[in-house]
Amino acid sequence: MTYLLTSLFLTVCLIFLPHFMSGPYYVHVFIITMMNIILTSSLRLISLSGQISLAHGGMMTIGAYTSALLVMRLGLSTWYAMLIAGLFVALVACLTGFPFMRLKGIYFSIVTVFFSEMVVLITQQWESLTGGSGGIYNIPAPGAIVVTGLFNIDFLSKIHFYYFALFLMIASLLILYAIEKSRIGFILKGIKQTDSLAESIGINTIGFKVLAYSTGCFFAGIVGAFYSHYISAMCPDTFGFFYTINILVYMTVGGIEVFAGPILGAFVLTILPEITRVLKEFMPFIFAAVLIAVIFFLPEGLAGLFSRLIAFIKKIIRIKNA
Amino acid sequence: MLEVKGLSKFFGGLEAVSNIDMTVKAGEIFGLIGPNGAGKTTFFNLINGVIRPTRGRVIFEGQDITGKKPHSVAKKGIIRTFQANNIFPDFTVIENVSLSCHLKTGIGIFEASLHTPGSKKKEKDVLERSYEIIKHAGLESFTNTAANSLSHGHKRILGIANALAAEPKLLMLDEPLGGMNAEEVSETINLIRRLLDDGLTILLIEHNMRATMSLCDRIFVINFGKKIAEGNPAEVKENPEVIKAYLGAGQNA
Ligand SMILES: Nc1ncnc2c1ncn2[C@@H]1O[C@H](COP(=O)(O)OP(=O)(O)O)[C@@H](O)[C@H]1O
Ligand SMILES: [Mg+2]
Repeated sequence: MTYLLTSLFLTVCLIFLPHFMSGPYYVHVFIITMMNIILTSSLRLISLSGQISLAHGGMMTIGAYTSALLVMRLGLSTWYAMLIAGLFVALVACLTGFPFMRLKGIYFSIVTVFFSEMVVLITQQWESLTGGSGGIYNIPAPGAIVVTGLFNIDFLSKIHFYYFALFLMIASLLILYAIEKSRIGFILKGIKQTDSLAESIGINTIGFKVLAYSTGCFFAGIVGAFYSHYISAMCPDTFGFFYTINILVYMTVGGIEVFAGPILGAFVLTILPEITRVLKEFMPFIFAAVLIAVIFFLPEGLAGLFSRLIAFIKKIIRIKNA
Repeated sequence: MLEVKGLSKFFGGLEAVSNIDMTVKAGEIFGLIGPNGAGKTTFFNLINGVIRPTRGRVIFEGQDITGKKPHSVAKKGIIRTFQANNIFPDFTVIENVSLSCHLKTGIGIFEASLHTPGSKKKEKDVLERSYEIIKHAGLESFTNTAANSLSHGHKRILGIANALAAEPKLLMLDEPLGGMNAEEVSETINLIRRLLDDGLTILLIEHNMRATMSLCDRIFVINFGKKIAEGNPAEVKENPEVIKAYLGAGQNA
């Protein structure tokens, strides 16, 4: 219930927020933040099964190129192109997931790193299709949504992308939350705890892991596609290894145990570098320091810190009342 | 019911299981004993598909199930417990058992995510069934306890309850009494007796000789992966090979 009210409150805030922003730069920061929240939360879905994927960067790249090329080469509507890009990425994840998911722990993670690097190499080398290392430019913005007399969203202004990103984020989080609370989420959590037992009582553990992987990567594909149409340019290494590592850091710092963890982590760690712009060059060090501090002092992440703070405040109130 | 023919597993040069023939009949409790490292757990792993045999066949109810994945073997009705850990530690007891009901829920992936009225009713049925199993295993006072905070003995009993939730035709228990105190041992033996009364077929690995001798209809003894004896408890106890194997391994039979 508090969850529901908090979410509603935050949504309303986000709807009115652009009116209080002093310039397009901050709108941009919030768009990137919302993208990162989707990425981090979808990465957590995969993590529910106990596997840490580092393929998100590669999956975003595939989504971005697929959508851009579908529009630019085949003249498809941007809306269909983005959806198809997401589904295509899910398919790629499904096909690669079956062999990858036979590996566990760090071995799976390593293989997903290689996968992402392969994607970068292929997009660099396959010049006739992707334009090679130079990337692609002038990727069109989404088609305008016009309801005569009511509104006209033509994506000429950043604000329109802001609301599109907001819509994507809310839809993604609702879907991810529903999955976690469904029997699928329950089964994934069981697999994470005791893989061998889950398998021996009849759960197709590889199948469920691939399902989580494929679904998680679908969102990465959608975000990649969104990004290409938003920035209107895309390079093979836009979402390279360090991009993926950042998502992993957001998730770890936010806390993997609860749904709100990755949201909190992605929000704080995307906004933080922007408001301390002076320190920008030192950001990798600050990230590393924050990560190490969280791993050592807050094993449940920022979300754990919040719930501990709330418990602490409640205790104080109780003592005062007593 | 279960027929094993020439089953072998080599780990490099080590013959962990070597050319085993075995038949388990429906409704009986069949003991598998042998010193530590004899290959008993490996034998279980071969039957339920955790590892593939080097040679040999596993036939269950007339069907060849050799090399099938554990979840497919489970679907056929063979459920095994693990020697070390057969619980989901972060779940409560009822969550453990209701997850283990997976095969019997009939809840498809789409139904699970869409929360149809049909799936609500099925979820309720699953909870009722889980509670029955928990009662049957004597864990009802721990229904909402986290599995992790149970005593060692109760963890092991929950492990059996998890296996039961998957509705086995053949239940394979790997040292169910390991590390239990006397009271827990007798609780578990009573549970196994109740399961036999219900008509379940059981294949039992157990180091507690007194329990094995009193429970089992027939006993199969292996050492260094090879069969050294088979027969009813009295026969096995008198068998010189068996006595030698156990004394040689420095244990009391
Ligand atoms: N995965 C494995 N790889 C290599 N050797 C193994 C493996 N599993 C078991 N073994 C070896 O096989 C032998 C039989 O082990 P196990 O089946 O666990 O014996 P038991 O359950 O009878 O105590 C042991 O020598 C053990 O070290
Ligand atoms: Mg063993």
